Amino acid sequence: MDYRTQLATRMLMNKKGSLIGAVLAVSIGILVIHVNFVIFQGLYDAIVRDMKAYRFGDVYVTKEGDYIDKSDIALVNWFERIPYVEAATPRLDSSAGINATKYGKRHEEFSVPVVGVDPFRDIRASAIHDTVGDGQFVFARNSIVLGSTVARDLGGVQVGDEVELTFVNRWGEDQTRRFVVSGITTSAGGQGFDFSVIVHIDTLRSILDRTDETGAIIVKLYDPTKATEVKDLFLRSFPSDDFKAETIDESAESTLRGFRSGIALINLIGYFGMMSSAFAIVTIQMMIVSSKTREIGVMRAIGAKRKDILLLFIFQGIIIGAIGAATGTALGLVYTAYAKETKLEFEGSLALEVTYDWSKIGQTALTSFALAIAASIYPAYRATKLQPMEAMRTV
Amino acid sequence: MNKIYGEGETAVHAVKDVSFSVKKGELLLIVGSSGSGKSTLLNMIGFLDHPTNGKILIDGIDTTNLKDGDLSSFRNSKLGFVFQFSNLLSDLTVLENVLLPRKIQQNGDATDDATKLLRTVGLEKEIHKRANKISGGQAQRVAIARALINKPLIVLADEPTGNLDSVNAETIVQLMKSMAEKLGQTFIIVTHERDQFGKVDRVITIKDGRAFEGEEQKRMEVAV
Repeated sequence: MDYRTQLATRMLMNKKGSLIGAVLAVSIGILVIHVNFVIFQGLYDAIVRDMKAYRFGDVYVTKEGDYIDKSDIALVNWFERIPYVEAATPRLDSSAGINATKYGKRHEEFSVPVVGVDPFRDIRASAIHDTVGDGQFVFARNSIVLGSTVARDLGGVQVGDEVELTFVNRWGEDQTRRFVVSGITTSAGGQGFDFSVIVHIDTLRSILDRTDETGAIIVKLYDPTKATEVKDLFLRSFPSDDFKAETIDESAESTLRGFRSGIALINLIGYFGMMSSAFAIVTIQMMIVSSKTREIGVMRAIGAKRKDILLLFIFQGIIIGAIGAATGTALGLVYTAYAKETKLEFEGSLALEVTYDWSKIGQTALTSFALAIAASIYPAYRATKLQPMEAMRTV
Repeated sequence: MNKIYGEGETAVHAVKDVSFSVKKGELLLIVGSSGSGKSTLLNMIGFLDHPTNGKILIDGIDTTNLKDGDLSSFRNSKLGFVFQFSNLLSDLTVLENVLLPRKIQQNGDATDDATKLLRTVGLEKEIHKRANKISGGQAQRVAIARALINKPLIVLADEPTGNLDSVNAETIVQLMKSMAEKLGQTFIIVTHERDQFGKVDRVITIKDGRAFEGEEQKRMEVAV
């Protein structure tokens, strides 16, 4: 082993307090970034996951400024012939005023978003049916699934109760219908249709007088990485229908844009934390240099060059950086594994979508390793400036 | 050679017009009281301090214009140092301390040479002990072994017995004299304990920064 590496290691090992302090500074910097990533990126990914599962699928097809008038069955069948596609389903969105009479008390009408689904196709292409905690999905034409918040606002409507909805059809006429509540839907973090109601798509079409019209087609893929390929294929196949097809990243963009800025800010704070760790290393290394002044003088006296002294303390930075990066990454991975295994969530909100982003993990470890080395340069440089005689006079 | 610290009225002329040469294999004592300038002179010979003016030639090489890196290499290969306080590196073992100058030189493994030297100074049983776990006398013997590992032209010793009790001081003196004799190496030893060293090849007395030798030295000693 090179004597400078050997001496650097020994000096650090014999200054365990300083070594532990410096390693902790690096590790904590990394851990903060990992925790930030797990929480904020996990939350972001969880929102994307749920938006994909409940609202947009992997590919979301609409028509520019209008309803899709092509047969939904034809389009669904077209998609389902593509090997990457697991399932596709039509959706039709509207809104309605809703009221209910519960225990003789009529709850004032308020407006709710209405989602029309094809229950038999939707259960294959979307996970919204899984959020129906009480009752069942909208298999019957006069059934309705209420979002848990809507049910609560209607005075605690339960499965089997009746609700009345007033729609405005395509001709501007009010259409009032009574529905039997078949289920109540609740999703973690309210990312599902907790604030909406779900009805059979054909019922909604009939009410709106939009027979054979569809609001959107949701496409679920076996392999989500093929979304762009499927989207492009679809648009190429229907060039003159004014279709608009978006991947989940595109359809969720407006919702998530602000969130992404937030994550960037949090990451920036994490990197500032890492910079603070670097300053801690500078301080600790300066203390080590100060406590080893006499030894530096002796080494210079017996022939060590400035370069040797510089390398000695940079080696210490490498050791601190390597141990710190390894420890911090290990701690970060333990936390990530814990968050993943326990499906970490905050007070019943949606479970974080925890992933191991190896490139980011590597990048974080390398950045703190490089920072630890960079932080050692100034103390090392100061050490090289010591004159042998003056250094040896230090007690 | 001159050495002046400070400027103007506060200037201290630590070494005044000192000029002498040392033969190969000579054991030279530089004696003088505290503050006489003898350590300053030794530090300049060892390139640990720069003369204000004058020059030092070692083995025919004018060292005046050598750069810091060259001076380090020169110190490493041509000079050996024994300081008043042994100045061993406490993070290393006895053997590693002795090996350090050779490792700095990056000139092969010298473990056998180091072990032999440590045997010569009577420390073969201590070689794997940490340097801070041995006594002051032992540490000074290790320092002598360290000074000799690169077979330097000159060994410079600054008050090598100054921090030792009389028994250990006697051991160190005898060790240095025997090493000088056995290895034929030049030793320049600074001390204010002239009597401790008995008969030596040559003695220079430093007083108020000036060097005295021969008749001049005798006259000065009589005057004192």
